Amino acid sequence: MDTHVFASLAQIRVLLVPVGSISQQTFEKYASEIRTFDAIRLGDIAVESTKDERARFQPKPLSTGYLHLSFPSHPPPHSHQALALIRPSHFPLAVIGVATCSHSEALSDIISQFNGTVLDMFPPSGMYPLARNCFVFEEGSSSGISPSGQHPELTIFPEMMGNRKLHIGTLLGEICSKIFGEFGVLIQRLESPLGNEYLNASLFPSLPLLTDMPPSLDSKDALPPLPSHNSQPEISKSALSKVAPAMKRNSSLGVPTVRKRLSAIGAASSHGRLFKVMADFFLLAGRTEDALIWYTEAVQLLKSPSDSIWNASALEGMATIPILDSWSAGYGLQTSTSTGREPWSDIADKLSQATALYFKVPPPSIENHQFLSYIYCCCVLRHTSLLFAIWSAKGWGPLAFTTMLQPGPTPYLPPTLSHNESTTWANLERLSSMSGIPRATISSLLAQAHGPWLLHLGPRERIGVLEAIASTYSCLGYRRKEAYILREVLGCVLDLIVCGREEDAHTNMRSFGNNGNVGIRLNESSDGNESILKLLKHVCKVLGVNLDAIQIVDDSSDPKSQSHTDDDPDVYREPFGWPELQVGVVRESVAVAEALPDFLAVTQYALSSLKTLQEFLEPGDQYHLYTTAARAMQTARRRGVMKAVEYWSGRPVVSIALAPLPFVRLPIEKPMSALQPRSSDSNAILTGGTDPFLYNPRRMNAMQGKPLVVLNETLEFVVIIQNPYVFDLELQSLSLSTSGVPFESSSTSLIIPARSYHRVILSGKALATGSLIIRGCIVQAPGGAPREFVLPLATEEEEERIAHKRSAALCEAGRFKYSGLDGFPWERKNRLPNSGSKSSRSSSTMMFLECKVVPEQPLLRIRRTTVTHGALMLYDGEMSSIRITFENISALPIDFIRLAFDDSTITPAQQALAEGEMSVFETYETEYALIHRPVFSWAKNDSVTIAPGRKVTLTINCFGKVGCTEGTIHASYSYIHRDSSNNGEASVFHTRQISYPLMVTVYRMLESHGMDILPYPSYPMSLDNVSQSHSNLFVDDNGAWCLFSLDITNTYGAPFEVSIERVQEDVPWGEILVNVPPGSTSRLVIPLKKFLLSDEHISKPIPTLSDRQFVVDKTKLSDAEQRMQRELFWYREELFNSLRCQWREAGGTRYGNLSLRQQRLTLTMLETLRTERAGIQLTFVRSEDSSQPIEHRAGKYFPPCSELVYIRIKVTNLTKSALVFTLDMDIEPREHVIHDGILCDIPVGRLEAKENREVDVAICFLCHGRFELVASARVLDSTGSSRTGSARLIAMVNTDS
Amino acid sequence: MSHHLFILSPSDTPIYNLTYSSTKPTPTTISPLSSNLPTWSTSAFAGTLTALSGASSTTQHTTGGGVRIGGGQDRHVIQMIANASLDAVEDVMRKESTMYLKSVDKFNEWTVSAFITPGNTKFVLLHEAKNDEAIKSFFLEVWELYVKTMLNPFYSNQQMIRSSTFDTRVRTSAKKYL
Repeated sequence: MDTHVFASLAQIRVLLVPVGSISQQTFEKYASEIRTFDAIRLGDIAVESTKDERARFQPKPLSTGYLHLSFPSHPPPHSHQALALIRPSHFPLAVIGVATCSHSEALSDIISQFNGTVLDMFPPSGMYPLARNCFVFEEGSSSGISPSGQHPELTIFPEMMGNRKLHIGTLLGEICSKIFGEFGVLIQRLESPLGNEYLNASLFPSLPLLTDMPPSLDSKDALPPLPSHNSQPEISKSALSKVAPAMKRNSSLGVPTVRKRLSAIGAASSHGRLFKVMADFFLLAGRTEDALIWYTEAVQLLKSPSDSIWNASALEGMATIPILDSWSAGYGLQTSTSTGREPWSDIADKLSQATALYFKVPPPSIENHQFLSYIYCCCVLRHTSLLFAIWSAKGWGPLAFTTMLQPGPTPYLPPTLSHNESTTWANLERLSSMSGIPRATISSLLAQAHGPWLLHLGPRERIGVLEAIASTYSCLGYRRKEAYILREVLGCVLDLIVCGREEDAHTNMRSFGNNGNVGIRLNESSDGNESILKLLKHVCKVLGVNLDAIQIVDDSSDPKSQSHTDDDPDVYREPFGWPELQVGVVRESVAVAEALPDFLAVTQYALSSLKTLQEFLEPGDQYHLYTTAARAMQTARRRGVMKAVEYWSGRPVVSIALAPLPFVRLPIEKPMSALQPRSSDSNAILTGGTDPFLYNPRRMNAMQGKPLVVLNETLEFVVIIQNPYVFDLELQSLSLSTSGVPFESSSTSLIIPARSYHRVILSGKALATGSLIIRGCIVQAPGGAPREFVLPLATEEEEERIAHKRSAALCEAGRFKYSGLDGFPWERKNRLPNSGSKSSRSSSTMMFLECKVVPEQPLLRIRRTTVTHGALMLYDGEMSSIRITFENISALPIDFIRLAFDDSTITPAQQALAEGEMSVFETYETEYALIHRPVFSWAKNDSVTIAPGRKVTLTINCFGKVGCTEGTIHASYSYIHRDSSNNGEASVFHTRQISYPLMVTVYRMLESHGMDILPYPSYPMSLDNVSQSHSNLFVDDNGAWCLFSLDITNTYGAPFEVSIERVQEDVPWGEILVNVPPGSTSRLVIPLKKFLLSDEHISKPIPTLSDRQFVVDKTKLSDAEQRMQRELFWYREELFNSLRCQWREAGGTRYGNLSLRQQRLTLTMLETLRTERAGIQLTFVRSEDSSQPIEHRAGKYFPPCSELVYIRIKVTNLTKSALVFTLDMDIEPREHVIHDGILCDIPVGRLEAKENREVDVAICFLCHGRFELVASARVLDSTGSSRTGSARLIAMVNTDS
Repeated sequence: MSHHLFILSPSDTPIYNLTYSSTKPTPTTISPLSSNLPTWSTSAFAGTLTALSGASSTTQHTTGGGVRIGGGQDRHVIQMIANASLDAVEDVMRKESTMYLKSVDKFNEWTVSAFITPGNTKFVLLHEAKNDEAIKSFFLEVWELYVKTMLNPFYSNQQMIRSSTFDTRVRTSAKKYL
């Protein structure tokens, strides 16, 4: 390929072609040997000592200077023949065939092959090549190959030749010499008038055919050659630096004669073109002085009748000369000649002139467009390469010249640019400042080459030009511009590929005669695909798309070995680059890879783009890329590719959670010590499991403990996966990644709906006891490699780490330390100062979901119950029982079963208790209800065992409690006493629970209210002794009794029998039984023996049934109030203890308790209930001598009037301690009575326990009538006096007599 | 004569773009070289090439391959040119402290002028004719509008500017100067 070297105009192209069956390696070896001769001293060239026209371009003997060779690997296309005269340096002037040979017989073959090759490469009508030769290198032959004389073009190199290189050099010189001779011949043909006419015939003229030449001129007496002094001016020996002024004079001296003479021949056209061709040949021949002279002349001539193309071409040639001279001089042009200007400004001026001329010229015909565009582009590139060479060589110097003269065939990169850091800004700027050429200048120059005219070029030239532009941009560090051009290069190359393939397809169709629909797969060649893909990746990278984001990996790679450096999905990602361009270039990349076709690359690119550009891709594009990738992967698989793509769709797994085991299967760990009987069992129900500590670290641990799972039982994990794309994402397999105990699970394949979160259940079985760690999920896309996504638990550290990362990203957002291409996201990550240490978190610090696998557990189920429909209907206070039958459906026996109960009344009561707002009294009531009256209860039985498959029935007692709406029976069971042969005594055991919820309805049918305690009426018992035997109401000693009464309302629809039993100690049993019809209220009355509680008893505080600590009394009661409260409490308790209230369904079997606990005991009731401390009896006695007692009838006394009688008051101390009593008396009406002594505070004195004393008071009724006498005792103690005990007496004084 | 304005964040992401066609005539500096372009439409990639090389005559709307690059003033090509000109802009920007970089780059028929805000946001304008002073005034107005928009705490210099006010005002300003 053309390398667009600056000095290409001065380089003799020597095409090296392989001949015969030579391996590429061998060819390259010999070719590189030949290529070392890129410059040959003119003095080294053997001059043919002919004096004919062939001598004109031969170097003068002893001349200094060099001729330059370049060795392209390909000939120009045939279509370029039109450039033969305007640009002779474009064509290989010599062809050297390189062949190997082992025996002489093959030589003829080689020569014929060589000739065939040359004939194939160059059209027979063309002028070039001017020389051809075939180098045959002897190989592997013992007997030397005899150089046969019949092939002059053949040169044989014996294998053992020591100075082969030298020989090659000599041969090259000979070839050049031959070329120069041919130059002479050519010029001679052009010099003829006909030749000149041909030369001026068209813009891109061709050489007249030999047959067209006038024979007269051509025969023996040819046109006399140009005087040799014109070709070899004397000034050639003058100093090079002073060439310019001297030359002018000289040329003006020599040339006009030529012109005159030529014009004399009668040529109508100017000789400008002829001179230009001549100058070109001189330039090629290394004779720069001559070339300069002729160029100058040519430019003069070409200007006046404007022939701008040739003019520009001549200018290009002129511009080359100083470089050649400088190079051969070996040092830079001294700037002394032009102080103000750069040394290369002359050259640059000439080239820009040429560029402008090329650009402006109106091309006469369409077919010339191609060449014109090509020459124009070459000129621009020449100009650019001039500046580029100077720039890259840090200024005008030998390095720059070397660069400009580099022969190729590969482009040459000066050492300033070929090291690693060459593209850093600092390096590039350094070059700019040292050379004085800003990069922008080069770039803007180069931009001139780019334009629509590129379309005129043939594909090969177009690629060549674009390549040159791209590589220059690349060296300048203009990577975006490079990417732009590279896209064109790719378009170009692929256009050729696609078109070529279509042509192939057509020809094949024809050749196979295939007219049906049978597809024929040609053997595709994948040569070069690699490079195209490389270009693609480069372009994409510059635009900020990393096509390598998804790697192609081996099929069998271990999913866990991949690095987990993936970003967390929720961490903010800064946008980078130009989304629209990225999308466009990505689409193009996929299309390119498809066109090649490279199916793996298609997959890789499509998926990489999906991953990196997901937020910018339109739905249609996403879908297109996805289907393309899937299709390509399938095709690749079908063709036997053993590679796979990495998993690509970001992070699909959002969360993993262990699906909670069904309650009946959930094992609960208990310490073995729980089996030991505990002292205080009852309190749990009161406290309701509330914890006295606000912060309890132990409980925290318990809550965060590992979930327990059972060996050999199926576990289910709920995995949430996401699909952020607009298409349904297919996952070939999704499985759990676990460590710890072996875990048996199967993978599932699924399709995640577009743009959604999806829930998947993965199940498996643990195969051993111990710890099971769920690291994450292994995900595999169709045709992809499995990949593990680790999901650490959201522990505090993890949360903190993510938060840290997120905030770091947010903090970095909007800060641009590196802008533009320096800020590639994938580079930025490495630049963060502490990212290295942070990201290297090892998996050991991560916490994972962990399960504890416990041994196999038995399983129980409820086979049947006596409850219908799970609903229990009870009357208030009803006692009943239900039976539950459990069945062991596992293969393990159950040797432990416990029942626990819960009902809807417990929680509110516990809450009320926990709040502590209730008074002590209410607290007691609540606690009492919780402990002594549970809805459910059972007789604990430790000896229950259930063998596998057997059943057992348990009885549960129920108690109807108003307000209870539902209840639950929990059964905990376990297999504790396993054969502990394996690892001794376990410290824990596991239970499972089974619950039986019940709907409970409690009907409230009897309402008790209006409890009252009345003093027993002091009516005479002797009134009708008959009734006493019938009724319980009648008791002896009525002073020691009181009456308990209670109203019972039946609010239900059925009659009930209500009974109250008296179960006081030392008192005969009594009962009252009433049938309460529906809707009616009955009062039950039963006498109660009064009682008195000791002071110690009533001074005890109201107990709390729980062991609650720190129960602070909220209500501030005074001491007296508190004493009163306690007294009320204790008496009430005693009252309830002595009564048993029950109801029974009339005519039914249901029975229950009637609770009195809603009833209040008032102070008056208390007074009545409590046995008084003093017992008082009043009797009337006459004076001690009188034996006749006072008439006493029906509880009334009938004392005489106006007669002194005594009232005998008998005071008995009923308490168990000694007390001091006084007496008060009251008589109504008072004014009709006279009495002896005082009626108030009659001292009685100290009475020991149970001691009694009589006090007599003498009174006299003054009139007839009814009198009422009341005596009451008073206890005197330190606090004062309190009334206790009274008696009443009614006296009828002579009312009827 | 059309103008293309791009406002680019420091990470080269466009946050605003405007295509404005002024009524002024387009200077015709078409090279004879680019006339009579061959119309070879052979594959999808030829379309890409045609568009990228700046040929305006052909209309290559390809159907297959998903490459949607047409001829003429293709939006994608305009963006490519704007993006490529960032090379030159950055180069100049690092050496000079001026905000307004006039005619900093030329590619195909487009001249690129740029304006760099102190926050390293770049305004890139592709235009066809030389109009330095007016463009400078235009840039200054756009800058002011930009700064006013960025005062809004809900905007960052990496998000698309979606404010319709901004858009209207920029258009007004474009009408005034371009």
